[in-house]
This record gives sequence, C-alpha cells and structure tokens, in this order.
Amino acid sequence: MSPTEQFLQRLAAAAVEKGLTDVTYDFVGTTIGRLLVATTERGVCRVSFQQEDEGAVLDELAGKLGGRVVRSASATKRVRDALASYLEGDEVDLDFPVDLTLTQSKFRRTVLEHLQRVERGRVVTYGELALQSGTPRAARAVGTACATNPVPVIVPCHRVLPSSGGVGNYGGGAGRKRFLLELEGVLPLHS
Amino acid sequence: MMTAVGLPPFWRLVEDHTDELLRHARRLVGNDAEDVVQEAFLRGLRSYPRLKNGDHLRAWLFRITTTTAFDHSSTRREIPTAELEGGAIEPTYDDGSFEAIIDELSEANRAAIRLRFVDDLDYDAIAQKLGCTNGAARRRVSTAIGSLREKLI
Repeated sequence: MSPTEQFLQRLAAAAVEKGLTDVTYDFVGTTIGRLLVATTERGVCRVSFQQEDEGAVLDELAGKLGGRVVRSASATKRVRDALASYLEGDEVDLDFPVDLTLTQSKFRRTVLEHLQRVERGRVVTYGELALQSGTPRAARAVGTACATNPVPVIVPCHRVLPSSGGVGNYGGGAGRKRFLLELEGVLPLHS
Repeated sequence: MMTAVGLPPFWRLVEDHTDELLRHARRLVGNDAEDVVQEAFLRGLRSYPRLKNGDHLRAWLFRITTTTAFDHSSTRREIPTAELEGGAIEPTYDDGSFEAIIDELSEANRAAIRLRFVDDLDYDAIAQKLGCTNGAARRRVSTAIGSLREKLI
C-alpha cells in the first residue's frame, strides 16, 4: 500500500469513528464484476454494477444523502464480504437492513419492500408482485420500480420474471440476471 | 442530511487534493504534515454540510489546512528555556488562529502571506493582485514569514 493510500485509510477510519460521514462506500470484486457498495447508518443504500458510471453514482449519493461521502473499506466490509461469497455460490445471508432513500417514490419503495420478502430459490412475476404490493393492475409500474432498484442483488429484483417467459430485463444486464437465477437454483445451470 | 446542490462527494476532493495539501502542509509544519492534513479534512467534513455551494473548494481546503497548520504550530511550539526561567509567557495573540497570528503584520505583508498560503497563489499571481513586481511579492511573503517565525518559535 502506498503512503497516500495509508493516509487515506487512516483518514477514513477517523471520519467514520467521529461520525462525520453521510455515506461510506467501497468496491468489491465478484464473479459478476466489480461492484460499488454504499451504506448509511440506516443500511445499504446502493449497489452498482461495473458498467454504471462510478462518478455519477457518487454524485447521486452526495446529492440525495449528503455530501460527506467517504470511501471506507472497514465500514463496508461486512456487506462487501457477504456479497462476494454469495456470488461465489456460498449459502450466506444478504438480509442486511437497506436504506431506500434514493427511491423517492412511495409506490416504488413499497414494491421494493415487498420484493425483499421473496426468498432465495423463489421467483415471482411482475403481476404477482403488483398484487402483493396492493396494486394488482400496476405490473408495468412494478417493472419500473425493479428497473430502478438502487440496491440490486440485496433487494432481489433478479427474482422477478415476466409472465410471458424468459428472464426479462435487468439493470445489470440479462446475462447477470440469468447467472443469479442459476446460482440460486431457479434456472438449470448452463452446460 | 441533504447537501446544497452542486457539492461533490467529499471523497473526490480528498482524492484530488491530498497530494498537494500534503506538500503545502510539509512546507508549514514539516514532518507533522499528515496529522495536519488529516485534521484539516476532518474540520472540512464538520463544516461541509453548511457550505452553500461548490465554488472554490480547493481554495477552501488550502485555507483550512493553513489554519490547521498554524494552530498546530502554536500548540506544539517549543518554549526556550531562557523564557521559561524569565517567568510566564504572554501570548501576543488571542486564540492562536491564523488571522490572529498575522494580525500584527503590516497590511501589505498580511495580504501577501494570505495570498501565498491561504489562496495558494504563485508569486506572479500575488504580484498581479497587489500591483507590485514579482520580486516585491516574494520579499513581502518572506518578511511576513520571518516575523511569524520570530513570534512562533
């Protein structure tokens, strides 16, 4: 580690210890690429995939959750470690508290809260999730709520499928959705 | 906590400016530069939510670092034995802040040292601001540093 990196790590630790952060974030390398993981004191607020513009993600966090965005390996370690082993196929829980502040629409937040109850190994259709969320005719809007999920993998929008068949769309790309469903035993493994 | 529109994520400032702030602090406090810059960033984090906009953030960080460096020097300065024997030492400034420390300098020298270490301008830019030559700007900063050294050490 370079002297500057050591300095940054000490600074981040001091900022976290003194409660001077609005958001902490760091990266984790996984089987589906490098993920950015961000947390607040309320829970995990953002997971973003490699192809998303990192600067734009951090700008959004600063704009909506507070500018004191600090890169901290230690503050995000539990979540990053769990995600990495989950994506290796390990049986670990991802039931971390989430902070859905980035989802400002109440309807979308309700959908994501219901989605959190869909367990590993199970799937629902957009229509079923709309029904569970109390808006049976809003399957399309439920699709939008899933597409704009700020905390993918942890809030499992990959477990929502179209009733017409196939895996449907995914913010991280259909390939990643298929991978996650195979990992969870819902789809047969690709040979 | 919401931040004023346009304030960048704080860590971007840290990554962009740490190296130059460390160089700046090294000139002021030598080996204690890392402690000073860390404390300056923590002070920055404390006041960040109250900033109104994202203009001049680099100059803002330099200003905090300079102030922190002077606070650091005034608490760490060694007291010569002769003075100790002579009785209590009366500080000639109130709170040890940068502005209080430079208060006794002439207006011209005060302006020059602020431009050099608070705004981090080079001598050409200082000369332009003060309407003097590059050489005169250097002399003013140098005289100001000389006076501060006598006062602080």
